[in-house]
Amino acid sequence: MITNKKYLVGVFDDEHTLKDAFQKALDKGVVIEEVYTPYPIHEILHGMKNKTNITTAAFFFGLFAVIMLIGGMYYAAVIDWPLHFGGKPFNTFPSFIVVTIVATILTITILTLFTFSVRAKIFPGKNAEIIDKRATDDKFIILLDQDKMGIDKPEVTKLFQINGASEVYEKETDTN
Amino acid sequence: MYKTDVRGKLIDGEKSLSQISQEILAPIDAKVPMWWYIAMGISLVMLALGVKSIYITLTQGIGTWGVNSTVAWGWEIINFVWWIGIGHAGTAFSIFLLILRQKWRTAINRAAEAMTVVAVFCAALFPLMHMGRPWLFFYIFPYPNTRGPLWVNFNSPLFWDFMAISAYLLISASFWYFGMVPDFATIRDTTKSKIKKAVYGFFAFGWVGSSREWLRYEGLAFVLGGIAAVLVVSVHSIVSTDFAVSIEPGWHTTLFPPYFVVGAIFSGFAMVLTLVTLMKKLYKMGDFITENHVDAVCRILVFISLIMGTAYITEIFIAWYSGSEYEMYTFFKNRITGEYAMQFWGMFIFNALLPQLFWSRKVRSNLWVVFVISLFINLGMWFERFNIVVTSLSKNYLPASWAEYHPTFIEIGFFVGTLGMFSAGVLLFFRYIPQIAISEVKMISKYNTQQTDHLKPGHHHDYE
Repeated sequence: MITNKKYLVGVFDDEHTLKDAFQKALDKGVVIEEVYTPYPIHEILHGMKNKTNITTAAFFFGLFAVIMLIGGMYYAAVIDWPLHFGGKPFNTFPSFIVVTIVATILTITILTLFTFSVRAKIFPGKNAEIIDKRATDDKFIILLDQDKMGIDKPEVTKLFQINGASEVYEKETDTN
Repeated sequence: MYKTDVRGKLIDGEKSLSQISQEILAPIDAKVPMWWYIAMGISLVMLALGVKSIYITLTQGIGTWGVNSTVAWGWEIINFVWWIGIGHAGTAFSIFLLILRQKWRTAINRAAEAMTVVAVFCAALFPLMHMGRPWLFFYIFPYPNTRGPLWVNFNSPLFWDFMAISAYLLISASFWYFGMVPDFATIRDTTKSKIKKAVYGFFAFGWVGSSREWLRYEGLAFVLGGIAAVLVVSVHSIVSTDFAVSIEPGWHTTLFPPYFVVGAIFSGFAMVLTLVTLMKKLYKMGDFITENHVDAVCRILVFISLIMGTAYITEIFIAWYSGSEYEMYTFFKNRITGEYAMQFWGMFIFNALLPQLFWSRKVRSNLWVVFVISLFINLGMWFERFNIVVTSLSKNYLPASWAEYHPTFIEIGFFVGTLGMFSAGVLLFFRYIPQIAISEVKMISKYNTQQTDHLKPGHHHDYE
């Protein structure tokens, strides 16, 4: 199903005015659809109330890798094919530690990259859904969905303009 | 918090955000200068020599090298360790300086990471060819097989090394690549060329700079950074155990892991210094790589150089203090004096003494002197590896099997080939990839005007 979505776009010239307007809009109860910036701004990331569990995921990938690696080496050295080296124990655990560390790092890297790609939807060949292409250069964009922004259009336009927006315009996009 | 008043500006000139994008992207759009083609030509000739040497090695075997049953590790292991060491700078820059919240890293980390990826590729070629029959490379994969004791030897540092280098290559390449994604999006959105828009657009992976993307991006950088910090330390520690777990005189020391890690970061930072001086001179990136950046790298080098000197002297002291005649012989008769004395003193002077010149601000601010010293450090670090590999092996416990080692032209050609591969890789990087992390430089641009922050809207002080 293809519907036309109506957006209101506020364009800001620098980080300070953006943060200021963003905070004031939040205080007024405006529902902000998305913010586009040339670099990460922690106040915005915090204010948008999105959460990422990628660090937790990475921890469990690591845990999984450690168990698999130590278990696998124990299996190879003790159960599957024990070798006699002059009476040394089969389970030479201390010498498994180093390879466990590096192979765990290898596993975490691969799985976390994959998770990031899936969750952030950043993958080769993806078409960029660009709202305002200056957002990767020097502009800071606040995007509001006109159907659910929780405030009248003139009021929020005025709010943006008072707080230093260099431009406020409407945009329609096709989304399906 | 970066104190601009104390440390100096991170970016010279009052630049707007779009100026930052334009100036960093300028070399990608500009006409390619003549020197680039000449340098690329030379690199490709060197690379061709390397390819020929590899071809001869492949078809005739490592009998074409100067290695023998006494000195079984010649230039190949020296060069392997040397390249891996150089490859440590990228992650050291990205990770350690990220963890330490050093804002000045942003101008340099991209180049350092690019260098890392190319250097690790160069390094990986050497053990591969040293296998003699590289097409049996898969023997090192840990799967049950019928070739011997069913599994690979999980207790062997050589196996650890294989895992470590695979992990290192993957993590440094992905750290580098994902750092570039926002910058590729900037190129996609600012370029006028349709081809560039399509190509960089593809590599930008659909990046638009939304808060959702940045949030996860920061999370990813945090995870990769955290685990890569462990990896930087462990990779070269493992390389050092390739030596230290043997019982060769001069190798069998507990000093080796920290000594190797510090040495690796030392040579990597020196190579970074070489590169950034070139970027400053050839691409006029001086506004982003300011004197303060060069100064900061030089200060780190002088500090690491002191550690290197301490390590060298500690080794010599322990050789004497241990009372082991083999250790004594190796250090006093086969390193400090003897036929390899030149390499020892080259190492000592270039790594421990020469960088002490960086105590002087005059030296640190003279770009040419900095450039030359950085090259000498790289040479010194090569001598260090020669000193470790060859002197210990050539004369160990059994005088009957003492032997000399001299590289053949095949080995020299192989090394020259990797040098060509490295410089060709760096030249491609200069031309096609933003040399400086644009989004990160934009992020720190606010520190340039920190003193006037209170004049801007949205910034409140109590006294206002």
